[in-house]
Amino acid sequence: MKKELATFLLLVVLCAIVTALNPRFLSPANLQNTARLIGAFGIFSLGLGLVIITGGIDLSVGSAFALLGVLLSIMLTRWHLPWPAAVLVVVALGALLGAGHGLLITRLRLQPFIVTLCGLLLYRGLARFIADDETKGFGDAAGFHVLQRLATGSVAGVPTPFVALVVVSAAMWVLLHRSVYGRYLFATGRNEVAARYSGVNVRRVIVSAYVILGVLTGVSAIIFAFYTNSVSPSSHGSFFELYGIAAAVLGGCSLRGGDGSIVGILLGATLLQVLQNLVNLLGIPSSLNFAVMGGVILVGVVGDQVLQRRATRVGAA
Amino acid sequence: MRLKRAVWLTCATLFVLTGCARPGSSKPQIAFITNNAADFWTIARKGVEKAAAELPDVTVEFRLGDGTAADQKRIVDDLLAKGITGIAISPVDPANQTAMLDEAAQRAVVFTQDSDAPGSKRECYVGTDNVAAGRQAGALLKEALPQGGKIALFVGKLDARNAQERMQGIKEAIAGTAITILDTRTDDTDQVRAKANVAEMLVAHPEVAALVGLWSYNGPAILNAARDAGKIGQVKIITFDEDDETLAGVKAGAIVGTVVQQPFEFGYQSMTRLAKVVKGDRSAIPPSRLIFIPTMVIRQSTVDDFQSKLRQLRGR
Repeated sequence: MKKELATFLLLVVLCAIVTALNPRFLSPANLQNTARLIGAFGIFSLGLGLVIITGGIDLSVGSAFALLGVLLSIMLTRWHLPWPAAVLVVVALGALLGAGHGLLITRLRLQPFIVTLCGLLLYRGLARFIADDETKGFGDAAGFHVLQRLATGSVAGVPTPFVALVVVSAAMWVLLHRSVYGRYLFATGRNEVAARYSGVNVRRVIVSAYVILGVLTGVSAIIFAFYTNSVSPSSHGSFFELYGIAAAVLGGCSLRGGDGSIVGILLGATLLQVLQNLVNLLGIPSSLNFAVMGGVILVGVVGDQVLQRRATRVGAA
Repeated sequence: MRLKRAVWLTCATLFVLTGCARPGSSKPQIAFITNNAADFWTIARKGVEKAAAELPDVTVEFRLGDGTAADQKRIVDDLLAKGITGIAISPVDPANQTAMLDEAAQRAVVFTQDSDAPGSKRECYVGTDNVAAGRQAGALLKEALPQGGKIALFVGKLDARNAQERMQGIKEAIAGTAITILDTRTDDTDQVRAKANVAEMLVAHPEVAALVGLWSYNGPAILNAARDAGKIGQVKIITFDEDDETLAGVKAGAIVGTVVQQPFEFGYQSMTRLAKVVKGDRSAIPPSRLIFIPTMVIRQSTVDDFQSKLRQLRGR
């Protein structure tokens, strides 16, 4: 609770400062743009948070975006599959990749870092090979206008990715904080051995976390592919997994596992997108984009640590 | 005792084998090395393949870089170890790769293409005069904004030489007019960031009159963001290179014009000239050691013609 509060306060303070410096931050157009990106990045960040809670990690998300994006383009523009089928294939493939990671981690006792690092390299290479290193696009969306509107449109002024994020967050909140599965997830992350001895099917819990991430990766892949309306296999989604990991960690997920919350991950994802937005709105040189992100996050994390330490000292006294 | 003998025998065999290894084929080998894997290079590849077909007595290779100087060094080192006699490379970071290029120049003929490294020992540069290309873009701007106005530039990285030269050309062309540059935003080749930069620029500065995309994927990013914001027609768009979406935008009138290079000629000319030099004919290198392949401005009136030529080149 404390960590989320700190991130929330940081977010509020940041928004206040930016609004004071440039009131256009709260303009409908900017809120829509930022909400769209929060939706796109937030969906897979939730899945990544789930995996981090089990004590694992997934570095292959960005490369999966490239691979799934290339396949989506080929299915829609070359094979002319009906779009519901294409969407199903992409999401199912994402789940399959996740299951693959989960099985390698639980059955062969491989480290998640290594398994997903190989995924990062493999999927990127596959994407480039399948696309023959050419950018795959969606052109004018002939035959799948509905899908394009679903992925890039708005519902009553609210961008559809944000709506999707709200729906996914609600479902994930119930799953993580109000269900037995959620308890098992936290238990597995906190102490895998103790959880196993308590009768939790640790293997199934871990694999399912990666599968859920895979499904959400598929959904996010479709949103990102239509956001840019093209997929450059060598650079699409590069390092996006870092955004997800940063969002989860900012939101209170410990990389050691066993800690985290949906609200926290959402706040983390929002904070990251607001930081990128303010760099452009305040005219800060683009070169400082990542420096600003890193600096503000560091300030927030250090502040949180200091406050926590002071609280425990007061408590002890 | 038997183990020791087996080890000794294996070592001796390997030693002999390496000594007997042939230093590669007797045909001269030349290679075309790109800086990254953008679509642009697929056209250059066709030029390289055409040259390869016309050079049966030379082995021609095509290598894609991954956008980093480290990867290019690895590629060059591997090729030199293979016995390459000539390379035509587009250096990612010319200023800091001079040492690497000079080292390679000691063992092979080095050409630069697309991005020059004039401070190095390269024999010849084949590519676009990016300052002239920038001036062409500037001319398009003057045409699109006769009353002047504020413009914004978008590019991947500002430390890329071609980006700097294009900006220089644009600034030269608009000097003395009422056109001013508001800002230049970079995206580090993240295309999601590229589109977001444009969308946020349109929010932060609704008075911006023209948007200029300096790299090939900036065109579609600007087009998409302007379309989402409903600003097509209100904001003038000028781009570089011939991405499919860019050409569609030119055709629809959303983009004033795009300045295209001729990557096919980069591939074709650099390989044919390099092959000549490697075989001993140095007349292929002009006294200036610069081969400028002219850029063209593609507008609505010329885009159909250009697209059909492009399709022919790509073999689609």
